[in-house]
Amino acid sequence: MKLAQQYTRASIIITFSILFFAGIIYYVAISYISNNQLDRDLTEEIDEVTYYVNRYHKLPTPVDFDEDQATFMPIGQRTIQRRFVNIPFVEPNSKKTESGRAVIDMIRLNGINYQVTIAESKEGTEYLAQIIGVITITLTAIMLAALFFTNRYILNGLWQPFYKLLGGLKSFSVANNMEYHYAEYPVKADEFRELREAIDTMATKARGDYQTLKNFTENASHEMMTPLAVIASKLDTLIQDEDLNAAHYEQLYNISLSINKLSRLNQSLLLLVKIDNKQIKDSALINLKELIDEKVNQFQEMIRNKEITITCELANKNIYASQYLVDILLNNLLSNAVRHNIKDGRINIRLDAAQLVIENTSPQSSLDETKIFERFEKGKTSEGMGLGLTIARNICNNYAFDLSYSFAEPFHSFTVRF
Amino acid sequence: MTSALEKISLYNYDCILLDVGLPDGDGLKLLEKIKALGKEEGVIIISARNSLDDKVAGLNYGADDYLVKPFHLAELKARVAAVYRRKAFKGNNLLQYEDISINLQSMDVKINQNNLSLTKKEYDMLLYFIANKGKVIAKNAIAEHLWKDEIDLADNYDFIYTHIKNLRKKLADLTGKDFIKSIYGIGYKFS
Repeated sequence: MKLAQQYTRASIIITFSILFFAGIIYYVAISYISNNQLDRDLTEEIDEVTYYVNRYHKLPTPVDFDEDQATFMPIGQRTIQRRFVNIPFVEPNSKKTESGRAVIDMIRLNGINYQVTIAESKEGTEYLAQIIGVITITLTAIMLAALFFTNRYILNGLWQPFYKLLGGLKSFSVANNMEYHYAEYPVKADEFRELREAIDTMATKARGDYQTLKNFTENASHEMMTPLAVIASKLDTLIQDEDLNAAHYEQLYNISLSINKLSRLNQSLLLLVKIDNKQIKDSALINLKELIDEKVNQFQEMIRNKEITITCELANKNIYASQYLVDILLNNLLSNAVRHNIKDGRINIRLDAAQLVIENTSPQSSLDETKIFERFEKGKTSEGMGLGLTIARNICNNYAFDLSYSFAEPFHSFTVRF
Repeated sequence: MTSALEKISLYNYDCILLDVGLPDGDGLKLLEKIKALGKEEGVIIISARNSLDDKVAGLNYGADDYLVKPFHLAELKARVAAVYRRKAFKGNNLLQYEDISINLQSMDVKINQNNLSLTKKEYDMLLYFIANKGKVIAKNAIAEHLWKDEIDLADNYDFIYTHIKNLRKKLADLTGKDFIKSIYGIGYKFS
């Protein structure tokens, strides 16, 4: 939920509840005050009645009470306490029933107790309460509308610089050579200005650090490759020596293989860095079907060497990606399928518009999907470096493809969803 | 870089090996100068950088080939031989080794006027062997030459043995000689 929305919601809830409770309190207070007032009036009436009875020794006629209705009821020798009650009040002229207030008391006349009830209409105070209720509701509505519009238009406007900065941050890439000038964003609020300055400083520093790192990686790789090249060429000269015997050759051959491995490792790490930084940008439209056919052809020797049966069901599919990276992706997936296969094994390749599936038989049982894509994670019997699948996954991520692994006896399958 | 420039302007070479990481300057600048001088020499760039951009840049500058460190000497020899042949004979030439004659343009191989039909891999291997005649070549060097990048999948390079065996047999059938000598533990020697 957006900040402005959250803020609007909170302020609306708070305003609404305050006004709601204020309305209730108003109502209760007014009712209380008006009841008090009525009760005082009624007490006076009772006092008048008592005075009248004491003076004339008879009950007053209803005519003596202009607005109020008084009733007298003999109750013998029972006594009652004075009390005030809410009762329905029938307007004598219009016969309408309204809410009313009454006092019930006792008068003693000629040795008989009478229950006196004097009722009065509450219409006037009810009306007041209603007016106050309407005013409260109207106020609430106006407040809510005002809050809603302020939050919507003014708050959103206030946060606009924040969203712009955020957008700039999202599109930030250290590898991007295009300079992104955060300093050019128009910002009025001090907080956002500080934020902008912080982002600007951070971006500049990140780019600088990245540049240093890139140079370092390149230089380190260069520096490592040159002595490796010297070792390799000396080795090639050394093996020309006629005096060497088979045992010597075997050792020299192992050294040579290790040099290969080291240089591949170095190149793979460099490649990973480049993919991560999105430095490879020679994207073009690639016909995947043709490329896979070509790859399968290149792998013929190794496939035949292991007597693997390969079946391809390929539909036409074009993707927009770097030929160089897709080449590496297919190389890695196919070489795994061949390398971890069994003699007389099988490889199935299926390509359609939605996905590419490469399945292979293997002496291994199911692999741990959470681990296989990690760097330097490899099977116990694998001679590889453990970077192949990491590179494959990173290439897929680069193009928002999804690379996943699954196992269904007897096939290990890798699926690339486009 | 200065001494290189001096020598290039003084002498004519068949082939120049150019390391782009020269101590006193960018090798590509040197390449620019070589081309500006109107020199016809074949240039092979040697670089520790195996990146597409660098390769494309190098070849755009007019280099004939791009070799990434570390490499096998046999590979370098094969590349130099190829560049030299292209430059010296304008690509239209016959390569002769003992009784074997190879038309590099039509890729026809003849032994004593008899046609020898080879697969693409066998043909590449034969050229590679001839460029490195008399030298011991490690198995991994041959495999890397023939399969380039995807070869890292091979835990062992034994599958090249099939191709060697076929080539050896085809050559022996027509010449009665065994050109390819196995050197136990490491590879082969062509002589």
